[in-house]
Amino acid sequence: MRATPEHELVERCRQGDETAFRELVDQYKGLVFALIARSITNRARAEELAQDVFLKVHKGLPYFRGEAKLSTWLYRIVINVLSQERPELATASLDDRDDEDRPRVQPAADDRAFGDLVMKDRLHKAIEQLPIPYQVLINGHYLKGMRYEDLAEALNMPMGTVKTHLHRAKRRLRHLLETEYR
Amino acid sequence: MAALKEHCDDLEPLIEGIADGSLPLSAEDAAHVASCAICSQRIERARSIENLLSMREIAQPQAGFTQAVMARVVQERWKAERAIDLGFNLAIAAGILVIVAAGAGLLWSLGMLSITIDVDAIAQALATTGTGRLLSQVQTVAVSAVLLTMALVLWWWAEAARE
Repeated sequence: MRATPEHELVERCRQGDETAFRELVDQYKGLVFALIARSITNRARAEELAQDVFLKVHKGLPYFRGEAKLSTWLYRIVINVLSQERPELATASLDDRDDEDRPRVQPAADDRAFGDLVMKDRLHKAIEQLPIPYQVLINGHYLKGMRYEDLAEALNMPMGTVKTHLHRAKRRLRHLLETEYR
Repeated sequence: MAALKEHCDDLEPLIEGIADGSLPLSAEDAAHVASCAICSQRIERARSIENLLSMREIAQPQAGFTQAVMARVVQERWKAERAIDLGFNLAIAAGILVIVAAGAGLLWSLGMLSITIDVDAIAQALATTGTGRLLSQVQTVAVSAVLLTMALVLWWWAEAARE
């Protein structure tokens, strides 16, 4: 089935068309939920937060002027919802220098934990410790359907710096795995 | 040894770019990595993380997700309507209070408000009270009554519009 063009869908939603809003939820629920579920381990809570995102969309639609893309606006709401859930990570510094101060563990030659199931769990826990913009950057980048442009706009970052921030986020993740989640 | 450590420190911020292939290694850096256990270990680890990140499963919402959202939308709307209803009810209660107070004021000014109500006294007071004084009280009651009627009409209209 052909997806309704974004502006048409938004306009119908703004006019109070419930079917259009249902269509909007159906169209974006996969991305929104996947993005949240990668930051929130508790599945029920992740589902609740994803629903909150769409409730905020429903409330905000009359004021949505279409200057940004609907998807960008949605991702911004996801970031807000995650920031409200983990306020301590919403304002965490993205500055690399803060990370330099952490005690570092040199990778041991016999560390073969990477690649196994335990490692996946460690990775998830480490991602949960990252500042929210870094979480969204990492989680979104590896989700099919999210583009650099969307991430840059949603995170208010210039396109040119998205890749740099992504590398910084992954570096911080590696450091976390080398220290706290060994 | 110090030079080797310095090279490791220089390469450290670039490890992720090297691991995901977006930053090509210079010949000098490649030679260093080949001979440095720390750097090659870091790159290997960054590649493992890169692989794990790209292999993470994509969680799907439950089948009833859209219905759950729509149910919450209805619930939220109901909450908002309840708040409006509460506002109307309060306005009507205030209107009734004004009318009762005005009526009580009228009775009091006519001298008819006492613990025991004497019907003869009421009739006598009605007959002897000055018309102007009575009229000013009647005006208050009339304005209150109009306000109450307006509130009721507005309520009726809101309910009809909702249905």
